[in-house]
Amino acid sequence: MGVAVEMKQTAPTSLHVAFAALGLAFLAIFSWVLFHEGVADWRTTQARFRRIEATVKNPHQLAAAASVGGLRQIWLPELDRVDRCGTCHLGIDDPSFAGAPQPFSSHPGTWLTTHPIDRFGCTPCHDGQGQATDYLNAAHQPQPFVTRPMRPLETIEANCGACHRAIDAPDAPRLDEGRALIVQSGCFSCHDIPGFDGLTFHGPALDSLGSKVRPEWLPGWLKNPKGYLERSKMGNFRLSNDEITVLQAFLLSQRAIPPLEGMTVDWKKADTANGRALFGELRCVSCHAVNGRGGTMGPELTRIGDKVRRDWLFSFLKDPHRVQPETAMLQYRLTDVQLRDLTAFLLEEYRSGDTGPEPPPVTYQDARAVMAGRGIFERRGCTSCHRLGAMKNTGRIGPSLAGIGDRNPDELAFGRGNVRRTADNYIFLKVLHPDALLQTSMMPTFDFAPIEAARIALALASIRKADLPVSYVRNRPMPPPFTPAGHFGELVTRYRCLSCHSVGGFGGTLSTVPLDRIGSQLKHDYISKYLLNPGAVRVSVEARMPFFHMLPDEATTIADYMTSVLLDDTLDRYDATFSEADVQRGQDLYTQLGCVGCHQLGTVGGYVGPVLSDVGDRLRPGWIAAWLANPERYKPGTLQPDYGLSAADARALTAYLSSLVDGGRPKSAEQGGRQ
Amino acid sequence: MSRRQATRAVGVVILPLLVAAGGCRRTSPTPPGDAMLDAIRAEERVGGLSYGAGQGKHLFAQYCATCHGDEGRGDGQNASNLNPAPPDLTTSKNARDAAYLRRVITQGSAAAGRSALSPPWGRSLSAQQIDYLMAYCAAMTQSKR
Repeated sequence: MGVAVEMKQTAPTSLHVAFAALGLAFLAIFSWVLFHEGVADWRTTQARFRRIEATVKNPHQLAAAASVGGLRQIWLPELDRVDRCGTCHLGIDDPSFAGAPQPFSSHPGTWLTTHPIDRFGCTPCHDGQGQATDYLNAAHQPQPFVTRPMRPLETIEANCGACHRAIDAPDAPRLDEGRALIVQSGCFSCHDIPGFDGLTFHGPALDSLGSKVRPEWLPGWLKNPKGYLERSKMGNFRLSNDEITVLQAFLLSQRAIPPLEGMTVDWKKADTANGRALFGELRCVSCHAVNGRGGTMGPELTRIGDKVRRDWLFSFLKDPHRVQPETAMLQYRLTDVQLRDLTAFLLEEYRSGDTGPEPPPVTYQDARAVMAGRGIFERRGCTSCHRLGAMKNTGRIGPSLAGIGDRNPDELAFGRGNVRRTADNYIFLKVLHPDALLQTSMMPTFDFAPIEAARIALALASIRKADLPVSYVRNRPMPPPFTPAGHFGELVTRYRCLSCHSVGGFGGTLSTVPLDRIGSQLKHDYISKYLLNPGAVRVSVEARMPFFHMLPDEATTIADYMTSVLLDDTLDRYDATFSEADVQRGQDLYTQLGCVGCHQLGTVGGYVGPVLSDVGDRLRPGWIAAWLANPERYKPGTLQPDYGLSAADARALTAYLSSLVDGGRPKSAEQGGRQ
Repeated sequence: MSRRQATRAVGVVILPLLVAAGGCRRTSPTPPGDAMLDAIRAEERVGGLSYGAGQGKHLFAQYCATCHGDEGRGDGQNASNLNPAPPDLTTSKNARDAAYLRRVITQGSAAAGRSALSPPWGRSLSAQQIDYLMAYCAAMTQSKR
């Protein structure tokens, strides 16, 4: 005890002072913390909110809302997120705060209806730091050491894509554009891209390139494909002149499939005027552009005369599938004379100048050059897109893009540009100029416009590392292939119906008419008549069905198949016995609803929708009624408005339309009963 | 005391260094650019449309422009087939009345006591899409005010 007293007496005064100072310091810090917490960003914000609330709401609503206060957070264990954004964004799910000053404004649009806030939170769509409770730390703007600050609206659709995996995700046009560009450019031929699995992309097979192209055309193409075709899908591989020389030798030595033998075509008698007429009649421009106008499914033909040999073009038009089994091009049924005229017309009309006489066949290539060319062909991954005889597809030679949206920017080679280091910017610059970031890149330059590169980068940025819970993901539909057998199957293959039309979602999208229920939509006689001579149902549509020069029995086979297989029972069960009163009432409705604005009847009306003059000959009544009642169901995005017709009104209109035959004259109801 | 002196000496050396380091914090002359965002903005800010109005412009092109014309001047390719002809939306007084405009878009022109030639889109388009269309129409009339 004595010792303790002694110590108390002898303790140096400096220690007392230090102890007191420490105590004061703690007190200061403690009160500062209390004060800081008291005036925290979110508290002052909430106080502001209550003042605004009083102007927006009536006293009764205010009393109900008075309990709102303190930190508000949404916990989403499935997504591993805690979002406290609602602490300040207090009016976010309350429509009465539309247009209120930030951060109180309600969420624009109907996004919160489709994405309830208690299930989706905020940061899964917007990014940023959900746990922060002040403006700066929430990373509303890019912050140092924050990997995912809030996305600006311009790139926010990248986050839509994390869940919405369909190529055409709803209400995300930028994302859709980017994904469509990836599909068109076939990026997945060289890269493994999650979400695009199962899609294929083919360049032409090169088995017989030596007999296909004019030798003088090839070097220019290899040097810069865009120089010949502005919309070329092939990228620029930045080959040196030496590489081009040997690659050319290798490619020209490919003559596995010679042009059709025994061709006794008298080219001197070629009638290019007839060729021109055929070019129009066959509707080539539905798929091929000339002089910048026309479809994009096939290559542009503006300078075809510079490129291909005459014999090859003739035999390709005669049977495209012999040399290019994977082509989308159909096989017309033309005579040799017609083929000759068409070939001569194409080569003469679409060329950049006088191309001179048909070049002699290439016979000799230096074996060493051929071997060297083959090496380049393999090394640059040409086989990823082009089939060449027995050469093995080297598969995806580019790196996998799985999780690319979450790549750590510090690991990416940005070069020396003054660019903010983000995965987005890296992908963008890489797509735009593959060689600008890393000199040794093998990736060809596609000459994308900056906005195209940005769209592609946005679509790729949606590919995240961690996979989301299944309940959040909307996968891309993968329709099963439609491969009918028998004569009908042969015709579908020959005329390449599925290049433009789809069945069960499988096939092309050029045509707006899927064939799923075509047999319940169209009448048998009309199908076969239309196939033999496809006229224009919609006046203003540019891409039209080709004139196949089909045989009558082929048309009948197709019509038979369609009307017995491609059916929709709910449409066929429709009772099509109409009374005269129905027809009369339908006619009145036709006027009342303003159908004439878009449809032609006789010589009167607009030309947005199909001509209705002989609609009773074309369409089956069950289809007319179903279509009128709910057009969006059958064709999303259609220009046919949904008038919300009652069943009786739809029936009356159907009765009237079914009575329209033979140029718009209504036939009497008794005849119009059954087809 | 030698230890105290040493501590002081270290303090004298380190403090100015710390202060100097704080003062010399590197300020880069130009902040790093956002290449991708710039590319998108360069494309989308043409015409100064907001995001919603830009979406509306696409919808307008798809659903409306055949009659109303790309710029809303009532000069679409189908306009000559219509009687009465579609109005010039950029100068129309009614088009500036948001409630009126919404009624015509969702319920058709007949609901506003006009001809039936402009059909109702309320069942085909989502509420979101109609908001976008409204935003574009507003931008269209504002630019002509």
